[in-house]
Amino acid sequence: MGRCGGDRQAEHLPTRWPQLLDPGTLEAVVLTMGSKQTVFTREQLEEYQDCTFFTRKEIMRLFYRYQDLAPQLVPLDYTGCPAVKVPYELIGSMPELKDNPFRQRIAQVFSDDGDGHMTLDNFLDMFSVMSEMAPRDLKAYYAFKIYDFNNDDYICAWDLEQTVTRLTRGELSAEEVSLVCEKVLDEADSDHDGRLSLEDFRNMILRAPDFLSTFHIRI
Amino acid sequence: MAAYYRNNSYSNDEDYPDYSRPQDHNKEYLKIQNYLDIPGSQNNPDYPSSRSNAHSVGSRTNPGFSGSLTEPDYPGSTGTPDYPHIRNNPYSEDSRTSPDYHRSLSEPDYNEFQNNPRHLGSPRKPESPRSQRNPDFADSRISENYANTRRKLDHFGTLEEADYPGAKGNTNHPGQRANFNHPGSRRGLGYAGSRVSPYTDFLGQPDYPGAENQPNPCHSFGEPDYPGSVDHQNSPNFWGEPDYPDSKDGQGYSPSEIRNTTRWGNGPSGILGGENEEYPESIEMTSVKMANPYGHALPGAPGNGYVNPAFMGENGSLGANGNLLSSECDWHGSPQGQKLIESLIPMTSRDRVKTIRNQPRTMEEKRKLRNIIDKEKSKQSHHTLRLNCCAHCLSSISLGCRRSKNSLSELLSSISLWQKTLKVIGGKFGTSVLCYFNFLRWLLKFNIFSFILNLSFITVPQLTVAERNTLPFTGLEFLTGAGYFKKTVMYYGFYTNSTIRHGSSGASYNMQLAYIFTIGACLIVCFFSLLYSMAKYFRNNFINPHLYSRGIAKLIFCWDFTVTHDKAVKLKQKNLSREIRENLSEILQENVKFTFRQQLARFSAHVAAWLVSTGVAVACCVAVYYLAEHNSKFLHTHKDPGAVLLLPFVVSCINLAVPRFYSMFGLVERYEMPRHEVYTLLIRNIFLKISIIGILCYYWLNIVALSDEECWETFIGQEIYRLLLMDFVFSLADSFLGEFLRRIIGTRFIKSLGLQEFDIARNVLELIYAQTLVWIGIFFCPLLPLIQMIALFIMFYVKNISLMMNFQPPSKAWRASQMMTLFIFLLFFPSFTGVLCTLAITIWRLKPSGTCGPFRGLPSFIQSIYLWIDTLRERSGYMWVVWIYQNLIGSVHFFFILTLIVLIITYLYWQITEGRKVMIRLLHEQIINEGKDKMFLIEKLTKLQEMEKRANPSALILERRETEQHGPLHLMEGSATSDLRLRRSVQEDYLKA
Repeated sequence: MGRCGGDRQAEHLPTRWPQLLDPGTLEAVVLTMGSKQTVFTREQLEEYQDCTFFTRKEIMRLFYRYQDLAPQLVPLDYTGCPAVKVPYELIGSMPELKDNPFRQRIAQVFSDDGDGHMTLDNFLDMFSVMSEMAPRDLKAYYAFKIYDFNNDDYICAWDLEQTVTRLTRGELSAEEVSLVCEKVLDEADSDHDGRLSLEDFRNMILRAPDFLSTFHIRI
Repeated sequence: MAAYYRNNSYSNDEDYPDYSRPQDHNKEYLKIQNYLDIPGSQNNPDYPSSRSNAHSVGSRTNPGFSGSLTEPDYPGSTGTPDYPHIRNNPYSEDSRTSPDYHRSLSEPDYNEFQNNPRHLGSPRKPESPRSQRNPDFADSRISENYANTRRKLDHFGTLEEADYPGAKGNTNHPGQRANFNHPGSRRGLGYAGSRVSPYTDFLGQPDYPGAENQPNPCHSFGEPDYPGSVDHQNSPNFWGEPDYPDSKDGQGYSPSEIRNTTRWGNGPSGILGGENEEYPESIEMTSVKMANPYGHALPGAPGNGYVNPAFMGENGSLGANGNLLSSECDWHGSPQGQKLIESLIPMTSRDRVKTIRNQPRTMEEKRKLRNIIDKEKSKQSHHTLRLNCCAHCLSSISLGCRRSKNSLSELLSSISLWQKTLKVIGGKFGTSVLCYFNFLRWLLKFNIFSFILNLSFITVPQLTVAERNTLPFTGLEFLTGAGYFKKTVMYYGFYTNSTIRHGSSGASYNMQLAYIFTIGACLIVCFFSLLYSMAKYFRNNFINPHLYSRGIAKLIFCWDFTVTHDKAVKLKQKNLSREIRENLSEILQENVKFTFRQQLARFSAHVAAWLVSTGVAVACCVAVYYLAEHNSKFLHTHKDPGAVLLLPFVVSCINLAVPRFYSMFGLVERYEMPRHEVYTLLIRNIFLKISIIGILCYYWLNIVALSDEECWETFIGQEIYRLLLMDFVFSLADSFLGEFLRRIIGTRFIKSLGLQEFDIARNVLELIYAQTLVWIGIFFCPLLPLIQMIALFIMFYVKNISLMMNFQPPSKAWRASQMMTLFIFLLFFPSFTGVLCTLAITIWRLKPSGTCGPFRGLPSFIQSIYLWIDTLRERSGYMWVVWIYQNLIGSVHFFFILTLIVLIITYLYWQITEGRKVMIRLLHEQIINEGKDKMFLIEKLTKLQEMEKRANPSALILERRETEQHGPLHLMEGSATSDLRLRRSVQEDYLKA
């Protein structure tokens, strides 16, 4: 499955490592020795740095967060790029996502197959987009995908209903919800096709400067 | 996979009969011929070459086509799982002679079997099937140059499919479409449809992996119940862009083709019927193409859409580079990828990384993109430099630079304080409260910087020549700042005016200059960093202030993702539903018109409130002024060290009490928008605080400085120190007592009050006030930033604890980012500019005290600079400094011209902004009009279809489908609008219907 193969072995890599080596020393190994028995090779780390908004330290921290989610599943050696996926149940139980009404959507949008199971790449991707440094357009794009529940590239009334029910935990009555959806479409649907396209969404986000700081998960 | 494909192709019972029916084949065949003729007859200036290409292909293709169509076991061959993939190489097949054709049919079958594992998700192994494939084609084909290029394109296509895990979902269409480069014309359309932004681009494009989320899981997991209808629903989305070659061969070969291809294959059948519907289509196409910058930027486009140097070149290296490139081919295959790569290559590495990061793609894709770019880059540098070792050197240097930069940024980010605490605060209270703490942290950084600067350039040199301090230390000095501290590096008065020199030959250090330059540098850096952050915030948060509306949409889409605490989330949801309800009722009621009397009452309430608040502020100022005057007289007669604390105490009391008094006006005043209330409160408070500081400054500069005080600079420094310290003590007391008591009252005694909300505005204003004092005092007391640093540090923890204990999250959705912008603006405008004015007056106008400080004996502070310039004049080596001083800094003309230029630029920018505003309005109108067009067309279409249905109720589904897709649709769309999204949505509507 993975591009480097060897995922079977990867899953059986010694799981006692986490106990033996604390994150600090491992990280030091990575930083100083490069390609020795480490989590990532230098090239890998550089790739991650170039492809995300994180520094090396943050990448390592995220990796350990990821590893902590499923210590049995995730090897501590990623130099062979094992194709390990952490199931959604574990991803969704992270304190950062646990109480987020959109946690399932977030995981789905960022996972490869839309099922919420995440590889390390997906995981890093997710937090990179959610980081402070990510530009508005990128955030808006993924926010749009998150709110687009049925993946049809438009936020339609049904998507909006889903969003509103999640946001209000069902405190609004059905009529109110549909009214809200109507109003939202009224406001944001600039081409009047009865649903929000990505452009509509981004237009609207431009008008909501808080979006940049609120679409942000701290790690 | 096999099961899936079979399933898919057979379950498409709409499609299937279509192909098995002989007359249909004929039709298609004829149609193809027809189509192929048209380009010849029609002078399409844009794509003569691609057209003619198509023609020649067609002429060769035709035999093959008819053969395949008449083949009796054709439907049977659909059962092979790979049928859609065969479509990948129709061109190479075309170029072959017909006997080869059968063979090629079976061979791709084999190949596709190889391909299937890739589809299951092993994107790293596309190499083997391809290499198997290569000989096949090479064997069967006569070496026609032209055919070769085609084959290579095909290669890209297959590879791309293999690589794109996301693209699998829709039976290889994306790959297919993406690799046909020669119909660049068509591609142009695709771009036009999604022209607005790169993202939409991707959305509209089939090879965007994320776009096909839904079908994907089914596909990759091989779920047996993959519904063909889903495929149908989705495919128009990605196939909204018509593709000529596709229609040509797609029709002929693949029964599992989904609707849109059929549509286009059938498209020319309209021509058969007499309507020349191809024509408008192509005209539209060209016009779009002309308007579309992408089309020209496409590497595939220049001149003839065929012989594409980029592709050729890449192909050349393909064989050599083997595995790695094969994984990159999806980038080369897709036009966006191409474009992106083209645009990325000339960039600097920093921009490149930034662009790659900003791509809304998965990590895997970004990584590949990065590798491709690196490779291209290195190739380029090899070409240009020819000196391999030199290029290598350069690249390694740049790599080293990047690494060191990375580690530097790491170092900087590791300094970032309180990351965890901030996360907890954000998790519990949301972004709005967080912005107070961010502001605090930002100020802290400011002060750390000023402190380090002052310490290293003023204090440390002074410490090397410090005399012994003989004053007694009692401990009260911490509060008063007088006594013992008077003779320390803390205050201006202690610094020497001499040149510090260690040893006989050591370098000299002119304290006078060091003092004035350090303070100046500190203020200038503060100025620019303030300006920078202000501009940044403005850019981010006031993009188009005219667009603001109290929309409900923002409430819904701006859920605060930082909130992670479960109670906070629940509370937030509750608040949000309340707010939505309020908003709804507001919208439903419309704007309630007030009667004249009500309006008058409101207006008079506002006027009264303003009068009272201004009056109170003025009264406070007067009180402070007289108190200060009398206090100084009183202090001359009484030598009680604690008496100096009276003035700071009174000022802090005013600062504590009056804002609360102001907020009580809210009971009387009624605002239409709660935001206005916040703003009004802010303005009143800032007016109060700044005017108190202003009156104190007046008192210091006009009374204290001109009096015969022994060392008035030190005196002012002490005053400021006391004010700052008292303010800090009051804040602490307020947090520990006031807020605590409020909680006790709210939870124990008057339950209706409940927990209070954190008053961000008031707290931020306190910070601004303190910072203003620090800036003023920095000249008189160079170590004041240290005091403020400590104060802020403690304050952070105190506020944090108090917040966690005594407060609840804010109930209103707070415009945090806008507020933050406002705060920084307030910090800049009345506060920092005021400080600059005060210090400018001090330095240019006032006479330094004669017995202490680095400037003793001079008529004014600035005189030190003049003297320095005079001494420089005598040294020939420093003439440039003198020149700069004379012609730039000291010259009125220069500043006059500079001001003029700045004014002109500002005016020009303002005009540009105005123009853009008009443009934005026009574009907005255009969007709305396009939307109306769309609705109109859809309506018309539905009507037409209804008519059709009524007229011919017995028609088969099949025919319906045909008419649906080809009948009036093209004509109308083609002539009406070039917007492709329209086409897609129309199609979808039909499918739903």
